[in-house]
Amino acid sequence: MNENNTTLKVENVSKHYGEFTAVNDLSFDVRAGRVFGFLGPNGAGKTTTIRMIVGITAPDEGTVELFGERISNETQNRIGYLPEERGLYKKMKVQDQLRYFAALKNVSRVEADKRIDFWLERMKLAEWKTKKTTDLSKGMSQKIQFISTVLHNPDLLILDEPFSGLDPVNVEFLIEVVAELKAQHKTIIFSTHLMETAERLCDDIILINKSRKVIGGTLREVKGSFSKNLIALRCVGGSAVLEDESLVAKIATHADEMEIELAENADAQTLLKRLIENGASISKFEQIEPSLNDIFIEKITTDTDRIYE
Amino acid sequence: MRKFLAVVKHEYKKIVLKWSFILGTLLFPIIAAGFAVVPAIIFSIKGEPTRIAIVDQSRKIAGRLKENLSAERMTAKATQAMKDSLKNIDAPTDERMKNSAEQFVESFVFTDYNADEKSPEQIRRELGEKITSKELDAYLLIPSNLDAADAKYEFRSRKAGDFGGERNLRDALNEAVRSQRLAGANISEAQLKELSRNVDFDAKSLDEKGGEKDTDSVFIASLIIGLMIYITLAIYGQMILAAVVEEKETRIAEILFSSARPFELMMGKLTGVGLAGLTQLAIWIISALVLVGIGVAQMSAAGMNISIPNISPLMVILFFVYFLLGFFIYASIFALIGSMVTTVQEGGQFSFPPIMLLLVGFYFSFAVIRDPNSSLSFWVSIAPFFAPITMPVRILAETPPYWQIALSIFINAAAIAGLIWLASRVYRVGMLMYGKRATIPEVWKWIRQS
Repeated sequence: MNENNTTLKVENVSKHYGEFTAVNDLSFDVRAGRVFGFLGPNGAGKTTTIRMIVGITAPDEGTVELFGERISNETQNRIGYLPEERGLYKKMKVQDQLRYFAALKNVSRVEADKRIDFWLERMKLAEWKTKKTTDLSKGMSQKIQFISTVLHNPDLLILDEPFSGLDPVNVEFLIEVVAELKAQHKTIIFSTHLMETAERLCDDIILINKSRKVIGGTLREVKGSFSKNLIALRCVGGSAVLEDESLVAKIATHADEMEIELAENADAQTLLKRLIENGASISKFEQIEPSLNDIFIEKITTDTDRIYE
Repeated sequence: MRKFLAVVKHEYKKIVLKWSFILGTLLFPIIAAGFAVVPAIIFSIKGEPTRIAIVDQSRKIAGRLKENLSAERMTAKATQAMKDSLKNIDAPTDERMKNSAEQFVESFVFTDYNADEKSPEQIRRELGEKITSKELDAYLLIPSNLDAADAKYEFRSRKAGDFGGERNLRDALNEAVRSQRLAGANISEAQLKELSRNVDFDAKSLDEKGGEKDTDSVFIASLIIGLMIYITLAIYGQMILAAVVEEKETRIAEILFSSARPFELMMGKLTGVGLAGLTQLAIWIISALVLVGIGVAQMSAAGMNISIPNISPLMVILFFVYFLLGFFIYASIFALIGSMVTTVQEGGQFSFPPIMLLLVGFYFSFAVIRDPNSSLSFWVSIAPFFAPITMPVRILAETPPYWQIALSIFINAAAIAGLIWLASRVYRVGMLMYGKRATIPEVWKWIRQS
């Protein structure tokens, strides 16, 4: 239930630690009911920004608005935060811990118990309700941590590297659960540096590097602005055409196909025509969308070069 | 407010519902019961009475001797010995051994033996055989020339190393012979009794109002109170440290900080743990009072009279107040330390100074017991870190004027406010700093930042 369409509004936020600037003039919006990818390399300032969003620390400059207002105890109750480095009380029973975390978010005991049962069932951990944390495996602990994040039915979910340490099966499982939550119109912020997963899940992304925003927008927009004109090509012959530098800037040869990067003003259709004219036998000609991974690497590298110039 | 209570409840249950708490709480009363009940048991163990044959060749002092060895005399001696030993905690070892020996009630059974017309060698032989055949435990040969310089009193016993028995017998004998000498100087039995009557030494202390208190029991009670508070503060203070560091180590702090305000979290923690400590202390004090009541009843039944000090309900309330004051002072410090360090071990190293303060406070309480109204006692029962232990002791020993108590409470409460303010600054920042322990200059910076 959101008052308006923007769940989170970050405006010109900065954070300094002594000489070091962790976050520099950062601005972005997160719209309700969408999955927002908060991407960047290690040390970019993601966790610092998240802490400001969640109310653990306060920005030195700029404002953070949640659900249309400044952060308060009430707004905190509507946020679920799963930190990157996380833990559970060592000697407590699973149920007691979950009850405590729920109480801290102002969930009544009765309601909390119902939800605990539901979520333990959902995450396939029902038998572990009365067991102590020390009895759980790492994967199980992480699932419990996830439950504690969603237990109070938050409108905004912030997950910082939620997949780290999960085996592939559990990664899929978690993605499934997140998709369900999205279908319930929850807003979800993902912070990660795993691009494949981000690509699968995110509607909007922002990429930050060394305390600044590098690029942002919907996934479509970002990918679109970045069309590097790549062609996946499998053919026999046509090598003369491929050596034409006005058409082809780079060729990367993979197992049984080539990845062609078109030259500056070259056009894919022209290349195709020329290859056919040249008598090449083409079995595959496909325009590749750049992967988020590629975008990430390219953008971060150029940005870093810029900084060090 | 609701979240604060949730934290309090969580911390309280975390401590109280564990076996370690239940065990520790019960252990103290059991040990105290030991102290109360065991002496009573010891006193009622008279052991095997020593079967002794007294051969009085002088025919003058056997009667007196037997009287000196009677049950009532022995019991009275033991009582006095116990009282003395409790007062002289710092007495030298041999004196203490002497005291412990005298605490055992000796009982003697007198066996008749007709020594008429037997030579000394014959007597010795016959009695010696009786001892060997275990018919007799000991015999005493009193020579006919009682007072001669070379008079030899022979005591042979089966029990090797019967330290107490020998002592008691020797003392009784000396007394009897002394009485005999006095009689020989023509002093009648009645006069004798008058002259050698022990003074009834009534040791009591006067408090400010001129009322009387029994010093023996006050000493013990003050000691126990001081000890209880010291132990509880040390244990629960360190529990705070462990709880704070755990949340930091496991990074739970991040989730907590995104759910409630750091100040709420810290105060909830302090309050919850404090309540648990209060619960344990309350159980201890109640069981102590009950056991003392039982112990005193048993000892009076065994013929000894030890009175308990007068403890009013107001005093009990003040004890709890001071416990809480002490708890919040030390717990704030431990919370502060916990926020700075990264592991429990590091925390342990840093908890040395506060524990030292506690210990010094405990030692000061001895000085307070000795002289409750000295200026040292005044300052020490007002000063923030020492008052929680020394003031209760002082109240029990000799209640100071109310204005002093009020002043003490006020100063300590102010100290707590300051410490909590300090601790919450450090808590807020320190709980999120991982990796390395915060240095003092860093901590100072956190405190000055808002």
